[in-house]
Amino acid sequence: MKMGMVIDLEKCIGCRSCMVACKQHNAQPPETWWNRVFTPGSHRHLTPPAKGVEYFLPVHCQHCENAPCEKVCPVGATFHAKDGAVLIDFDRCIGCRYCMSACPYGVRQFNWEEPAKAHNRSAYQEKYHYGYPEEHRHDGRLVYMPLRPKGIVEKCTFCAQYRDKGELPACVRGCPGKARFVGDLDDPNSDVSKMIKARDAFTLLPEKGTKPTVFYLPPKPKEV
Amino acid sequence: MSVTMKRTLWISSAIFLIALCFWFYQLWQGLILTHMVNSYSWGLYISGLAFFVGNAAGGLVLTSSIYLFGVKKLKPLAKLGALTAFANVTAAMLIVLPDIGKPLRLVYLALHPNFMSPLVWDVIVLNLYALASAIYLYILLLPELTGKLSWLAIKVNNPHDFSERWAKRIAPVALLFAIGIHVVTAWIFSTQGARDWWHSPAMAPDFVSVAIAVGTTVVLLAGALAYGTGRQYEEAYRTLGLIIFMATCIHLFLMMNDLVIHAWYGNAETHRIMEIAWGDFAWAHIFEVAAPFIGAGLLMLPAVRRSLPLLALSSGMLIAGVFVHRFLIMPAAYNNIPMTLTPLGLPNTHWSLPIASGRFLPGMSTFLDQYSYTPSLVEGMILLGILAYAVFLVVLAISKLPILVKENA
Amino acid sequence: MRLDRREFLRGAAGAGCAVAFGLKFFHFSDDPIAYAAEVDQLVRSTCSPNCTGACGFKARVTGGRISTLIQAADYPEESYNPRGCLRGLSMMDLIYGKDRLKYPLIRTGPRGSGKFRRASWEEALDYTAGKLKEITDKYGPEAIASTIQVPGTGYVQKGALVALTGLAGWTMHHGYDQNGDLPMFWPMTFGVQSEELESLEWINARTTLIFGSNVIQTRLPDAHHLMEAKRRGRVVVIDPDFCSTAAKADEWLSIKADTDAALGLGMAKVIIDRGLYDAAFLQDFSDFPILVRQDTGKRLLAGEVATLASEAKDRDIPEYRRLFVVRCGEDFRILDPEKLDPTHAELEGEYEVTLADGNTIQVETVFTALRKNLAPYTLDQVAAITGLDPVQIERVAVDAAKNGPIHVIYGASNYQWYNGDLKGRALSLLPVLTGSIGKSGAGISTYAGQYRIRFNVKSWWFPEGSKINWVAYLHFLQGKGPNYPKNGIKAMVGGWGNPFDQHNMSNRLKERATSGELEFILTTDFQMSTSCMWSDVVLPAPSWYEKYDLTATILHPYLQLQQPAINPLFESKSELWIFRELAKRLNPAFEQHFFPQLDEKQAALKVVELLLATGGAETAGITLEMLKKGPVRLHSPAPGDRQVPFYEQVQHRVPFPPPSYPAPIKATAQFLRSGRIEFYKDEDLFLKEGEQLPVHKETYAETEYKVNPAAREKYQLRYVTKNSLYRVHSTHSNNTILLELQDNKAKVFLNPQDATSRGINNGELVQIYNDRGKTRAYAVLDPGCSAGTAIFEEGWWARYLGEESYNSLTYPWIKPLHEIYFVPGIWSPTTVWNECLVDVRRMSA
Repeated sequence: MKMGMVIDLEKCIGCRSCMVACKQHNAQPPETWWNRVFTPGSHRHLTPPAKGVEYFLPVHCQHCENAPCEKVCPVGATFHAKDGAVLIDFDRCIGCRYCMSACPYGVRQFNWEEPAKAHNRSAYQEKYHYGYPEEHRHDGRLVYMPLRPKGIVEKCTFCAQYRDKGELPACVRGCPGKARFVGDLDDPNSDVSKMIKARDAFTLLPEKGTKPTVFYLPPKPKEV
Repeated sequence: MSVTMKRTLWISSAIFLIALCFWFYQLWQGLILTHMVNSYSWGLYISGLAFFVGNAAGGLVLTSSIYLFGVKKLKPLAKLGALTAFANVTAAMLIVLPDIGKPLRLVYLALHPNFMSPLVWDVIVLNLYALASAIYLYILLLPELTGKLSWLAIKVNNPHDFSERWAKRIAPVALLFAIGIHVVTAWIFSTQGARDWWHSPAMAPDFVSVAIAVGTTVVLLAGALAYGTGRQYEEAYRTLGLIIFMATCIHLFLMMNDLVIHAWYGNAETHRIMEIAWGDFAWAHIFEVAAPFIGAGLLMLPAVRRSLPLLALSSGMLIAGVFVHRFLIMPAAYNNIPMTLTPLGLPNTHWSLPIASGRFLPGMSTFLDQYSYTPSLVEGMILLGILAYAVFLVVLAISKLPILVKENA
Repeated sequence: MRLDRREFLRGAAGAGCAVAFGLKFFHFSDDPIAYAAEVDQLVRSTCSPNCTGACGFKARVTGGRISTLIQAADYPEESYNPRGCLRGLSMMDLIYGKDRLKYPLIRTGPRGSGKFRRASWEEALDYTAGKLKEITDKYGPEAIASTIQVPGTGYVQKGALVALTGLAGWTMHHGYDQNGDLPMFWPMTFGVQSEELESLEWINARTTLIFGSNVIQTRLPDAHHLMEAKRRGRVVVIDPDFCSTAAKADEWLSIKADTDAALGLGMAKVIIDRGLYDAAFLQDFSDFPILVRQDTGKRLLAGEVATLASEAKDRDIPEYRRLFVVRCGEDFRILDPEKLDPTHAELEGEYEVTLADGNTIQVETVFTALRKNLAPYTLDQVAAITGLDPVQIERVAVDAAKNGPIHVIYGASNYQWYNGDLKGRALSLLPVLTGSIGKSGAGISTYAGQYRIRFNVKSWWFPEGSKINWVAYLHFLQGKGPNYPKNGIKAMVGGWGNPFDQHNMSNRLKERATSGELEFILTTDFQMSTSCMWSDVVLPAPSWYEKYDLTATILHPYLQLQQPAINPLFESKSELWIFRELAKRLNPAFEQHFFPQLDEKQAALKVVELLLATGGAETAGITLEMLKKGPVRLHSPAPGDRQVPFYEQVQHRVPFPPPSYPAPIKATAQFLRSGRIEFYKDEDLFLKEGEQLPVHKETYAETEYKVNPAAREKYQLRYVTKNSLYRVHSTHSNNTILLELQDNKAKVFLNPQDATSRGINNGELVQIYNDRGKTRAYAVLDPGCSAGTAIFEEGWWARYLGEESYNSLTYPWIKPLHEIYFVPGIWSPTTVWNECLVDVRRMSA
């Protein structure tokens, strides 16, 4: 069982709902975003880079099979889960941020200050926080907590707290465009495997050799 | 102890204590007190690591050359070399501490090391180098650990011979480590395919050549400050100046080599790097090339070497140039956003995916593809404090131990 | 000093343990209210601001607070799931945000200053009632005007204010025309308020033509159905600017703004000239065979025709119908407005008729008149007007006609022009000519707002004795109009809306509030919006996760409950309770209607049961229990209860129009006196304006250029206030999560040439101005924007714009044709936001 994600760029409408779902469910404080959706080529999302050209690209942790972040982590805090997701052990991370330099996709986010302090900037009533409210351990390792401490790195976990219970990640459930799919890459008959083959799927930065398990289906070209 | 030395000790310890306070403040508030952001996640501290490692390498290169290649006239500087090596390599390890988000967890380096990680190699190799330079220093000091210091001496039959013999034996190991710490430190950066600015095979040899240049300069400067620029040291300083100049030329050659290849082939990443490097940082790059070259060149002149102020100035130029070189490891690496692609429908353009900054930047977008990093006061003070520590250690050792060779041997 | 190895190891182990222990069990936390990880429940409610999504959401409640929100995705048709969007997913930012209203407020400083004092509910309600009574005594009850914005988002809570308005005899504005969302071509052509396919039906269209609607962004939860329609057929987007929907479409026609009538007429001409129309459909379901007098331009009445007059006298028809005349073979026949049996009438022809008074006149069929009307709209002429390629126009028209069913989506930003009705009528020709009406995947749809009342609400909304004085909002802004209260409007009572940002056209609302002409302003809301800032009394209401309500929308026909996941925060009370308390104070007899013996939650549930029981065919068999389990499809005449407009009319030949709740049929059927789709309008003003058939008219000629001819040179940018992805109108303007995605800055989108010629660079702060007002935003140079464009994303609260209302630039134009009838929210002067010219300049020196 090797879990993978497929994102269909034809169906992606660039609404950023997945950004917000991810942020909300994973209690990310202001200025921290694990998931990003932008308009390639453009200085501003939803502004076309040129008349006649516009599509949208969501990017988060690619859960690489050959993850440079895992290789560089001096204390083994970044590790591969049983199903292939790349997770961070919040008990182990020393905050050296080597992984942030190593990641070619720029997906890792550091807690520069106490997240509670960052949350305070939102000025919610009575110290309210959003987010999945419980800690979660995968294989005994702490991979999610509602308020991380300062000084450690975090990133997309494919919502380990949900997947380990058989539920889909927040970005998949939150996508109104139905553009995201999660499935078993080892099974040639799974939806994701079929889509990857039939729709000419590509990965980001293949030349870096990271072997991402997030695949993109290109948007349909227009006739001329 | 001279008045100068006493004053130096007082000032450097004061600076160190102030820096310590700043570090405690940073421990309390978090690394938000630096000016780093998610898209620019290493800054002055790691530049400091490279800087101090470079300074450290020189010490044992010099010291082992004396015993390996028999350059006897450098002997008065041997212990000073080992001392500056030890001071700088420990400073290198210390400057990393404030960069760690959760320093109490560093024990995991011992409990759960990941041997694939160049950082682990660096920790190992820096510690071994600290040990090696300490041992080496001890061996070199052994014959003179008499009188009040005899309690420090291990009991051997003929300390002088013992010292010579072991110094010779350890020399190759020391040389290996001296080169090694900079190779491994370079590997921290150059193994990272995500950062084109770093990902070059030339980085390790380049770091080594810089290390030899600046490390030797540190010893030269320390020596000149300790011994003066009298006639009896002329030969020694001339040799050092030659080493420094050659190493600097090799360093500049390796840099130019990289540049020529990339400029000629001219792919997208190169253009972006060049834009970043020669855009905001044009003057810095000119300085990092010119200062060491001019400094090293000046040090080739006997007149400069005979004049302590001029020697100090030239050394200072080279060291400053190398420091800027270390600082410049970061901007082109972080402002050349690695997730850059050619958008569909727009061939021949390149676009970078902005990164969420992770901190409040008034008036700026959260999503950055460019960030103008300048160190914060906290970062600057802490770096200064570590520098003060190295100076303090060297001066204290000189005052308490027979580091310096007496005039009448 | 000697350190024993054993000693060292022991010490190290000890230190290590201490550190490890500390690491595992010591979490620095600054949060005194520990996150209670006790479970907690999942409550399903419906997220329903006026975005037309009406999406089911599940709130996870932990320790009495909503910790997460995720789409419920429980619609019976899997294709509808999951719905939802980034705004619904970040709703907690508003619920727990710093602008949350906590307790009743009474104004102490000048209006708009934000100076209030806290008051108890007793005091605030007594004070309000006192003020309202005072105004009633001085000026009459019609001097008090209430608004609920659009009906569909809250049948229970909104119904309470509507009921009170009726009981007290106040004035009411209808949100649909206030918002400019009422597309006037609908009542004119089809006799209805508006109609639209449910989004699941989009996939059954072979050709989807989108005229000026950014469906991908504005119908966000339904956008995937458009992508499926693209996969199965073809999607063509006609829009001056390259928006996201144009990017997703198979083809994009970059039309000159506001020239869609010309394009529609040109395409209609192609279809007619090539014979690609469905003659049988037109004969039976449209007014094309109806004969028109060439002398007066009026439709020929049977009573005027010599051979038909006596028969006409004996025919018994409702007073909203007329007996028109058609030609069958050699004879003239009466067209029965109450039956849509096949007529075999002549579609084309010019004939001579002998009138009952002995004169002879020439008549022609509507279709013949249409052909003549279309003559100037040749491909070259249309290309010149629209800026499009004539070959492309022809190809699109022929392709569409040959690949039905056609579905036309007509966007609000496209019809919110002075001549939006003409454009709608012209575009309606496309589905009508090809018979794409009343069947799956076919028709013309407009999707602005949850205006639609989907069933009979009389039992709750219009109690016995209810008498509402409806006044079009535009008349309020203009200060005059038919049935305008003789003493003017002196008080505003509103909820679920933010008129001081959204409807402050030409700054009139703020001016009237400042001058004191408005003597009392009451607003209920759950956040301190700009309108709350300008009110005299602010009453805190709950969000839709804190109360019961019933919602419906137009994108899908599901009826859904809103349910409380948490208790109303602080001292907020549901609107039902608020207006019940107010009712009691105004007149004790009023209270009876509002279930006074029940608490607000029980009362709301009772109202739901009442509405379901008395709702009519649409709600037959639907119970509260069913709704508590999930969304329930309302009934409709189409198979599977599908929302297919005019299904009954076309498939079962029931005369047009279907009723538009809550208006009685006689109010709307008068617009289609023939009982059929009508393109020919012969009321006097239509004839006078030359709009009896759709035509293309020059933009701004009746508005900006008429009032100020210098505007042609002075203000060359059209000011379009489009919807933003990050807001639902002005809801979420203060959402900190979404603000971060916008860099906390309002934007104005400019064509790059227009910007550079004004010395404006990307990201610079610019002022947008005209003779009426000004506002400010950061410039975005958008290669997709056509020349002469200044697009501003509407909904920013004034505090983000330096207190300069973006609506100070707009003007409440009224097209006189919209005043020849008045059926609130159905035939009414409707706001035309886009009739606004501006210029921009850099703000810094």
